[in-house]
Amino acid sequence: MIKIKAKDVDVFYGKKQALFNISLDIEENQVTALIGPSGCGKSTFLRCLNRMNDVIDICSVKGEILINDFNINDKSCDVVRLREKIGMVFQKPNPFPKTLYENVSYGPTIHGMAQSKQEMDEIVETSLKKAALWEEVKDRLHEPGTGLSGGQQQRLCIARAISVRPEVILMDEPCSALDPIATAQIEELIDELKKEHTIIIVTHSMAQAARVSQNTGFFHLGQLIEHGSTDKIFKNPDNKKTQDYITGRFG
Amino acid sequence: MNKNKEQLLNKRYKAEQRFRLYGLSAIFMALLFLTIFIFKIFSTGYSAFQKTWLIVPVTFDAELMMLDQNPSKEDLQDADYYDIALKSMADLDPNANEDQENELKRMVSYFFEKEIKNELLNDPNLIGKTKEVYLTASDDLDQVFKGNYPRDLPEDQRRVSDYQLKIFDQLVANGKVESKFNISFFTNADSREAELAGIASSFMGSIFSILVCLMIAFPVAVLAAIYLEEFAPKNRFTDFIEVNINNLAAVPSIVFGLLGLGVLLAIFQLPRSTPLVGGITLSLMTLPTIIIAARASLKAVPPSIREAALAMGASRMQTTMHHTVPLSMPGTLSGTIIGLAQALGETAPLILIGMVAFVNTIPGSPMDPAASLPVQIYIWAESAERGFVEKVSACIMVLLGFLIIMNLFAQIIRHKFEKKWS
Repeated sequence: MIKIKAKDVDVFYGKKQALFNISLDIEENQVTALIGPSGCGKSTFLRCLNRMNDVIDICSVKGEILINDFNINDKSCDVVRLREKIGMVFQKPNPFPKTLYENVSYGPTIHGMAQSKQEMDEIVETSLKKAALWEEVKDRLHEPGTGLSGGQQQRLCIARAISVRPEVILMDEPCSALDPIATAQIEELIDELKKEHTIIIVTHSMAQAARVSQNTGFFHLGQLIEHGSTDKIFKNPDNKKTQDYITGRFG
Repeated sequence: MNKNKEQLLNKRYKAEQRFRLYGLSAIFMALLFLTIFIFKIFSTGYSAFQKTWLIVPVTFDAELMMLDQNPSKEDLQDADYYDIALKSMADLDPNANEDQENELKRMVSYFFEKEIKNELLNDPNLIGKTKEVYLTASDDLDQVFKGNYPRDLPEDQRRVSDYQLKIFDQLVANGKVESKFNISFFTNADSREAELAGIASSFMGSIFSILVCLMIAFPVAVLAAIYLEEFAPKNRFTDFIEVNINNLAAVPSIVFGLLGLGVLLAIFQLPRSTPLVGGITLSLMTLPTIIIAARASLKAVPPSIREAALAMGASRMQTTMHHTVPLSMPGTLSGTIIGLAQALGETAPLILIGMVAFVNTIPGSPMDPAASLPVQIYIWAESAERGFVEKVSACIMVLLGFLIIMNLFAQIIRHKFEKKWS
């Protein structure tokens, strides 16, 4: 099943074009990895999917991005509803400087997803459990989220993202600021999360892409060079550039 | 080659040492000036917190007061106290002639009959009896007692006559002169008589002005800062506005005073000399300071927090109100307090809108005429009487104390509540 269908997406920062004609299908309940050297546009593409590029004044996006066959670049698309359905986890853990509980309950609160305190408690608990953080923090839910370790903070951000039951989770190099143990925990988590969510992950680490993803897209200089199943991209890529990047000849 | 390198190294060390020395001497100079300044203020001003009283026996003669037998409370209110007041002063020297009696009367404050009246109102049983009453000494004798008066000047260059000094010295010798804490300095409004002048009016005037200023400047400035920082598009027009806000912060305060005079008083016909007009004028001055502080602290909130909230599906407004603004509040508040402290010390614009008028009542609302602390300092510094010299310093001490407390408060807010970003 195809969840997201990008058709001829161009992105401009002012006059400079950052993405050229990107067309990419993303499978439901699978992990899609976007790889490529720095500045190749993979993060820019990721941010198109929940329209986070709107925040940047000079950025303009052209083309169609269909999620559930609905074009999110259409004027009738409400970004608030869109971002409720499409969660995001950032490169650097960015918990709100509030308590753990407030961090996780923020999304459900602004979207009115809980009718009572009990329901909210439940949402917070299940979200933290799904993010594999519950056991570590259940006794200190009302302490500040900024007091956690880096890996815990990132899992808190994942718990926050899944608290509103998004269909898609976007991850922008979620492990780049973490140590190997924390990275392993997050990767395990991603594997678990794909049962309920479609996941798109931008990563610098090809090993990580190979470990966690089923599909991979390779970006270079704002163009999508090649995409397909991870197996194929890593073992038998069609394009010479992909081959060179995978084998470490550049990037 | 090696030797050359060593020379170079030595030179660098020396340069560093020299630089440290310059820095230390600069700090030393600054501290020296500050110490001299504070020492001067305190040494001149501390005596204003003491007030000299003459202890004079007063006979509450019912006949002289034109009172009947068993007078009611109103009778006591309406009684004539001038004669017994005059008599009790004249009695200090039984041999005094008419001129000397006049001089005796001027040894105490202008309102001495009121003090005698209050004594009787407090204890109506005093009628027909004699009691030693504390009367406020005249400002000149107050200065004589504090040792600030040039007694060795020739008599015709002094306001205190030799005769008054003689009687006063007798009183001192008999222990009939006392110095007590000067409560009236804090409870009285301004007065032409230095011994009665207090800061209550100007203190309240300052408080009201600052409150009006806060209530106008804070919401306007914070809203402007939030709009400019979070919502406004970045283009030439907003750049232009930004430059002008920065320029506004550099406009001399007297210009705002002229604006207050020309617009608030002349066009809107607001009441002259009131903290309302003063506060509005000061708020114009404080506005850019708060806007700049608020924008700086909004900018200091990391963009990752905004992204986190937006990605959760919060609207721009929710992101701003739930996250950015609360996180920027400590910085905004301490900037506001510092802006208000600036406004509190401002004199020139208040003089222009008439808050320099002589006000001898304590204002009960921002609509009543009032002075303000810095203007009070200005008014007293212009007065000729010797008694006002110490009042000027004392008023400066009160103003400085006020400012130090406000700045301390700003520091505490900043350190206690500001989030640290790792």
